[in-house]
Amino acid sequence: MGPVATVVGVGLLVAAFVAYRWWTTPPPPNIGTTDAAQVLATLTGLQPAELDQIGLGSATNSIKNVSGPALRGADGKPEVFYLGAEYCPYCAAERWAMIIGLSRFGTFSGLETTTSSSTDVYANTPTFTFRKATYTSQYLDFQAVETLDRNQNPLRSPTAEQTALLRRYGTGSIPFIDFGNRYSLTGATYLPDILAGLTWQQVAVALQSPGTPQAKAILGSANLITAATCELTGQQPAEVCSSSSIRAVQTRLGTGH
Amino acid sequence: MSRRDRALAAASAIAGVVGIGVSAYLTVVHYSALPLACPTGGVIGCERILASPYGVIAGSALPTSTAGIVWFAISAALAIGQLAGRDSQLVLRIHLVWSAIGLATVLYLVFIEIVALGAICVWCTAAHVLVLVTFLAVLTRIQTAGTQRLRD
Repeated sequence: MGPVATVVGVGLLVAAFVAYRWWTTPPPPNIGTTDAAQVLATLTGLQPAELDQIGLGSATNSIKNVSGPALRGADGKPEVFYLGAEYCPYCAAERWAMIIGLSRFGTFSGLETTTSSSTDVYANTPTFTFRKATYTSQYLDFQAVETLDRNQNPLRSPTAEQTALLRRYGTGSIPFIDFGNRYSLTGATYLPDILAGLTWQQVAVALQSPGTPQAKAILGSANLITAATCELTGQQPAEVCSSSSIRAVQTRLGTGH
Repeated sequence: MSRRDRALAAASAIAGVVGIGVSAYLTVVHYSALPLACPTGGVIGCERILASPYGVIAGSALPTSTAGIVWFAISAALAIGQLAGRDSQLVLRIHLVWSAIGLATVLYLVFIEIVALGAICVWCTAAHVLVLVTFLAVLTRIQTAGTQRLRD
């Protein structure tokens, strides 16, 4: 085999790799505005009994204890800070749980559907983005920064203070969530593969059945987020924070299991 | 050694030295807090590759780039040895086997990048091209030597 044949052979092999990757990557799902609103209504209307039934589910309890001056929003309420990016499949996975968990303390608006990068691992994971989202709550403040879009074009940079939080309490990876400087979470609490090939509507339907892998992972993660947030709000609202399952999850916060 | 052979051996030696530099840079970045100089966007994503489980040698905490340092150092030594006068067929054949091992490893790593991770690391690609250049240079010398023997 000569040098020319080697170059041609290597080129053909690389082309075959690219073709195989393209062939096996699921296309990004589509959703209409009305359908997206219905999905969000499903997420925020999940029955507390189902959440209680699942407890930690199959979520990985990777929330860590941290210590520092309490992180508070502009109006003095305890703050939850999220740093992520739209291309990131782990951020895509975690946002489902964040929306469900934080919606028990307040109301999101401006959430839009998107998918993670088509070229990253867990390609085209369906999710929502916090890019234009606002959050109102009588209990806490929520700040979110999506740094890059799904094609890795710049969206927004964190402030110097937010970058300092990432350095102090995170590992540098995303998603990063700071719960009032009392708890931090780096990475997703479940693997995005359970969302592969599903539409937003299919995920929403799956979440209504506690036996599905999606419900066990996403609702378990939502309960983790709820439990950490309840610690910031002085266990308010009581109807959320006093449930036996949230109390049980709280005893495991920061223990790693 | 003919002028063409010297040029090909010199190309292998230069590829080896440059490859050591690239691999050493990735190793230093791995062990330090230095930011990696790498463009992002589309399928380019050095961090995605280097931070993946494939960024370290299986079963160890050593970055994959350390294997690159070793491979390029041995390849450069073989090429420099030939330039310095050790122009035996045995050394050339050892270099061919060594560069074939390198090329096979490169093809595996490219498979991981494209199929498993869906991203390309430009620094890794630079090292892969240097391995390919080395293999082609050694292969050309082997073929030239074979043709020469037939003429002689």
